[in-house]
Amino acid sequence: MGDHNSSQASYIHLVHHLIEECIVFNMGKEECMDALFKHANIKPIVTSTVWKELEKENKEFFEAYERRREEIPTEKETARRIRDLLSRTTI
Amino acid sequence: MLALSPATRNGCDGASEFLDTSCGFTINPEEEDEFPDFADHGDLLDIIDFDDIFGVAGDVLPDLEIDPEILSGDFSDHMNASSTITTTSDKTDSQGETNKSISGKGEEVVSKRDDAAAETVTYDGDSDRKRKYSSSASSKNNRISNNEGKRKVKVDWTPELHRRFVEAVEQLGVDKAVPSRILELMGVHCLTRHNVASHLQKYRSHRKHLLAREAEAANWTRKRHIYGVDTGSNINGRNKNGWLAPAPTLGFPPPPPVHHHHFRPLHVWGHPTVDQSIMPHVWPKHLPPPSTAMPNPPFWVSDSPYWHPMHNGATPYLPTVATRFRGPLVAGIPHALPPHHTVYKPNHGFGGARPPVDLHPSKESVDAAIGDVLTRPWLPLPLGLKPPAVDGVMTELHRHGVSKVPPTASCA
Repeated sequence: MGDHNSSQASYIHLVHHLIEECIVFNMGKEECMDALFKHANIKPIVTSTVWKELEKENKEFFEAYERRREEIPTEKETARRIRDLLSRTTI
Repeated sequence: MLALSPATRNGCDGASEFLDTSCGFTINPEEEDEFPDFADHGDLLDIIDFDDIFGVAGDVLPDLEIDPEILSGDFSDHMNASSTITTTSDKTDSQGETNKSISGKGEEVVSKRDDAAAETVTYDGDSDRKRKYSSSASSKNNRISNNEGKRKVKVDWTPELHRRFVEAVEQLGVDKAVPSRILELMGVHCLTRHNVASHLQKYRSHRKHLLAREAEAANWTRKRHIYGVDTGSNINGRNKNGWLAPAPTLGFPPPPPVHHHHFRPLHVWGHPTVDQSIMPHVWPKHLPPPSTAMPNPPFWVSDSPYWHPMHNGATPYLPTVATRFRGPLVAGIPHALPPHHTVYKPNHGFGGARPPVDLHPSKESVDAAIGDVLTRPWLPLPLGLKPPAVDGVMTELHRHGVSKVPPTASCA
């Protein structure tokens, strides 16, 4: 029984670790579920559950993270504009 | 009437009423020898140097009038000071000694008063004196630990005290931590619930900042390494042109202000000297430019070791996350990337064209990162988020019909 519990705990820890890696890549929950299933054979329901629990424990982080991710399209646009500008500029 | 009259003698009738023994001093006639014959020296008022006692410039007398009230008020809880003072006065050998002992008491008393009600003391008297005592008082704050919480005491949150606070809060859970419970867990008696509550408020707001910045930092560092940043040195035995080795040490990213030091605020694309960090040239609106980061850091920042117990302040964030980025991200290795990857144009390493901002990871790098974790699960977590409650996860999974964790059969 204890063994069972510890294997559960270590599995959850693994999924947690993997999710953190995905967050480093700026991925969202769905992308993460997808990636973990494809690359690590982890059931999406497991990924999503662990993600949600992580969110509960780290509310502020995830709030900031979501806000950050919302900015991405505008970042892309700004990047494009700057690229554009610089390519037209001669020094 | 001042209770602190230094030396009185019943015999000094020449003295003014100021030195009246209305406070009930009695001087043992047998000790008369030890007392200087003040009568010979004229008015005691002239002899006694009140500046010595109270260390003040300016008019002293008004202060003296206020003093006794406060002194007697304070003395009621602490060391039977009034009797102490009287005995002190009784035993004056010399004016100097008396002055010292009284000023010692006076200081201590004032400091207690300062502790207790610094804001409420309304003094008409010399503010210099108050200031002088305040400065000595603040250093005595820690010594005077046994305040019964009757007055609002200014608590000095020493690193040790703060550490215990953090321990208690983490035990309870940041969001669930209640000041009364925190107090219990801390087991410190000199704190009131109010002290803890306001400290908790500050702590929470600081954490918010910190986590927001961590989210930023994760993003920045990822971007840096997607561009195959020349980290400038061998990191854990790998050279910068090769595969990056895993860094076993840190689990926590440093506070982003440290991280920002690696960036230069203005980049010119294609500029050959920009070798330190090839960062996205886009600054997200809510990220301040590094040079002006944290103009008024909250005091917590300097305490950052307490937030990140494993963090060595000098260690850059890079190594831990750098390990995850392999594949086509390394400088100097030309790759032909599939068109949908926006990572970078693999022209001439990094002296040349700037890569576009990578806002979506390449499949290879994600796969590599995941593979890394699977093969080396002991590696530190890149973000160090608080782990989820195992029970919570399991319950939730059971609700969704998942019983076997980890799955023994293949997933479908």
